[in-house]
Amino acid sequence: MSVKATIKMLDRIGVEMMNHSEALQQMAAERYLLDELTPDAREAFEEHLFDCPECALDLRAGAAFVEAAKTQLPELTGALVASPSRPHKANREWWLFWLRPAFATPAFASLLLVLGYQNLVTYPRLRAEASQPRLIPWAQLRGDMRGAPVTITADHEHGVALPIDLPSQPSEGAYASYSINLYDPQGKLAFSSIVATPGASDSGPQRLGLVIPGAVLRNGAYTVAVSGVAANGERTEIDRYAFEIHLNSLN
Amino acid sequence: MQFCSFSADYVQSLCAGDHQAQEHFVVYFTELLDLKLRSRLQSPQAIEDVRQETFARFFSVLRKDGLRQPERLGAFVNQICNHVLFDHYHAAAASESLDVEGRPEPVAGGADALDIVSARQIKDKVRAILLDLEPRDRSLLKAVFLDERDRDEVCREFGVDRDYLRVLLHRAKQEFKAEYVKRAGNQMRPGTNI
Repeated sequence: MSVKATIKMLDRIGVEMMNHSEALQQMAAERYLLDELTPDAREAFEEHLFDCPECALDLRAGAAFVEAAKTQLPELTGALVASPSRPHKANREWWLFWLRPAFATPAFASLLLVLGYQNLVTYPRLRAEASQPRLIPWAQLRGDMRGAPVTITADHEHGVALPIDLPSQPSEGAYASYSINLYDPQGKLAFSSIVATPGASDSGPQRLGLVIPGAVLRNGAYTVAVSGVAANGERTEIDRYAFEIHLNSLN
Repeated sequence: MQFCSFSADYVQSLCAGDHQAQEHFVVYFTELLDLKLRSRLQSPQAIEDVRQETFARFFSVLRKDGLRQPERLGAFVNQICNHVLFDHYHAAAASESLDVEGRPEPVAGGADALDIVSARQIKDKVRAILLDLEPRDRSLLKAVFLDERDRDEVCREFGVDRDYLRVLLHRAKQEFKAEYVKRAGNQMRPGTNI
């Protein structure tokens, strides 16, 4: 059989195509690198990416990152083989040196001060905050992928509470759960959570409150992305909230 | 960055044997084919063999019959690779398998000074991205990509779900992409103006 005839024959064995927006929505490049795609999905993605420069670049960059990261991760995760220990005599001298009164006395005194402050001031305050009701400013957000971000004034003491609306499902059982991801001003994923879809008896959209503690708030642009997660794990971004945090001068 | 599909002029240059077009074509698709074949073949030699055969068949068909849909050039290369793989598996079943681990790897070509500098800069960028991650996230990436542990087991151990892992990789890749494109240069774009 000639090459051309073979190609024509095998072309009839169709692989369902994946279009570009599907590839992006499903994070196909990431799934490919994590070896999460089914054989059919993998072939569909390959069929697409060989003709799509954007997806090809995405995959190549991801693969290059993974390969480079593999060479550096052992060092950065402290997985190096321990260096040979020092001679026993030198180790013993090292410990004795730091136990001399000139060093030990002020060191222990500082330690006592720190422990005292933590137990008498810090921990009681934290326990009180965790067990007592408190008021947190409730910010208004608009879910709009194209609009300008909302500006929210906040402070380190109170933090901020954000209403996140989970829309009704496009069809019954479309999503098994929702994924809520919060990205900080540096674009890093700061928080991620999965919530179950509302029960059949619940009607209309469900509202959740996302509380960002004041201690972790920074000036800058945050993003909250809400995605529907199907039973097979496919994610579809449903909504996106963009907001700017301005910390007030009390901080 | 502008993304363009392959043009009729590009295909014509390939048919005419234009050296620059051919070199671009091979560079552009070598990496994609390697990524595809890595998940299907064990040895570097088998990957090299299938890739070379893919290119050989492509140019053979191109010179004999041409390409009616230049914008589908990439999909055509992918299909040819699938056929070569099919033949490879068939041949391996019938005789001693070519896909044997332990064979010596093909000798890599020498890197020039620019390659060395680019590799160094890419390494520095990756290091910066990794250092910016939480230690837990670094350990998570190590467990998945270096230790090659089961994904579900790793997610359970670290208290995250598959979504978290995907988004972690996605964010790191996005941050890395600009540097990668800067270093890899024109090899990233299909040759529309060759």
